[in-house]
Amino acid sequence: MQAGAGSAEKRRRRFAAAGIAPLMLWQFVFFVVPVILLLVISFWRTRNYRMVPDFTFANYIAVFTNGAMWRALLLSVQTAAFVTIACAVLAYPIAYFIAKKAGRLKGLLLIAVIAPFWISIVMRVAAWRLLLGENGVINQSLLSIGLIDQPLGFLLYSPVATSIGLVYAYLPLYVLPLYASIDAIEDNWIAAAKDLNAGPMRAFWEVTFPLSLPGLIVGAVFCFIFGLGEFVTPALLGGGKQLMMSQVIQDQFQRRLDWPAGAAISIVMLVIVFALLAVSMKWFRKASGEKL
Amino acid sequence: MSARPRSPQERGGFALLSLYAVLIYLFLYLPIAVIVLFAFDAKPIPGLPLDTLTTGWFVEALRDQKLTGSLLTSLRLAVVSAILSTLLAMPAAMVLAWLPIRFKSLVMAMVLGPVVLPQLVLGLGLVILLRSAPDLVGEPAIILAHTTITSSYATLILYSRFLGFRRSYIEAAMNLGASELVVFREVILPLVRPALISVFMLAFTDAFGEFVVAWFVAGFTETLPITIWTSLRQVISPKVYALSSVIILVTLAISLVSQLWVIRQTRLTSKVQTS
Repeated sequence: MQAGAGSAEKRRRRFAAAGIAPLMLWQFVFFVVPVILLLVISFWRTRNYRMVPDFTFANYIAVFTNGAMWRALLLSVQTAAFVTIACAVLAYPIAYFIAKKAGRLKGLLLIAVIAPFWISIVMRVAAWRLLLGENGVINQSLLSIGLIDQPLGFLLYSPVATSIGLVYAYLPLYVLPLYASIDAIEDNWIAAAKDLNAGPMRAFWEVTFPLSLPGLIVGAVFCFIFGLGEFVTPALLGGGKQLMMSQVIQDQFQRRLDWPAGAAISIVMLVIVFALLAVSMKWFRKASGEKL
Repeated sequence: MSARPRSPQERGGFALLSLYAVLIYLFLYLPIAVIVLFAFDAKPIPGLPLDTLTTGWFVEALRDQKLTGSLLTSLRLAVVSAILSTLLAMPAAMVLAWLPIRFKSLVMAMVLGPVVLPQLVLGLGLVILLRSAPDLVGEPAIILAHTTITSSYATLILYSRFLGFRRSYIEAAMNLGASELVVFREVILPLVRPALISVFMLAFTDAFGEFVVAWFVAGFTETLPITIWTSLRQVISPKVYALSSVIILVTLAISLVSQLWVIRQTRLTSKVQTS
């Protein structure tokens, strides 16, 4: 039992390696290798619906010169940005309410916000089709109370519908980090600001809001990243006229069978995602650093 | 600690916030209510105003072999993925939380990667990988894909839970001469059991509902999300809503119960710690 400190350390290290190895091996084979393969074939060419090994930048040049792809890229970024801002504005008061005002109902209210996130995305989108369609619940209700004479056509199969669906999908995801950072703010700090004659508004903007910035950043990053790559919602709610990047990728892969072209767009999307993560980690460190 | 507002101004603010909260919860639960509502509507093409109410679509859904078949496939595959990802995540999260390791940021990047990677991209990468193992297309591929995603989520959730545990319990048991196996069985397992069960259930619901990646690697296998996706391309039958509403309610119940249970358990253990 009483082995030397060196052998105990060795044992501990062996334990650590054994515990972590299965997951690392799994993620290497089914996450790292697929991404590398995607990167490799993005430099290949397609001839007669078959991939030909090559080293060409043609697929990447096409992403930035082809008008349709540009528009898809732009629409994706715009939609993701809009959804992120909408989610932030909608999520902040509710996260604040749960963290600071809900009292004993705190736990239950938080869980109730997050629960819809676990429902299959396909079912959530099906529900929005029932609500937004020409004969959907919203149009029928507005017609019957006489607010409109004709069903609003732009509600379904439009970027508006996609945005509504995405806000619905990612609002729970945004509340979670916001709640965590607002909940960590001690009531005493806010009370101290008020004792020093700050009004509720000033106390909020000078104490609560800056301290909740880390949560705001984490939520925004995840909301934007997920919104950028999301496929089901634009495919089922967006209609086929204005495509988002994910739809173009799927189209290249499944309909045109041009895998290298699809792979190149995927890699562009990945680069955006990882660049954003890197930048936001910097912000995040700065924002949480100011707390100390 | 007290959430009671003091001045009239603050009371007004509280009322406004409460009203806002009600609206947000309406927004979150309205689509769910609509699905459940149309599951009971007698009309074959759903729409307002509601016709007579019926439970017939639930019976129809159970008679539809395509629907029930894909439901059973989804259940089976999700159980396997949840078991696999819990088994992969548990030791990894314990090591990350309790033991010093080298290259920790690389390890965390490997764990976080599948979460931030757009699922569409992961699906395509797996399609290319599967070209070298075409026999796996179908059920095995769906399990592999879902386990990759859910094991990441599971590791992150377990890691954050394990960080809160007291390492002193484990060290005390070790100092008293218990072997690793005994420490694991008698000390660690009872401590982490609630977290494990809740993570298993979340991994199950996640794998059960995931669509995009499964769709790419499924071959001719149909999971329930794939069947619903296909039916969404045509006029959708209310029996799909009937089945969906049951599943939605079960999903909500699972996530509510498992989360509430975790909160209660954490309260119990923290009470033990302070006393």
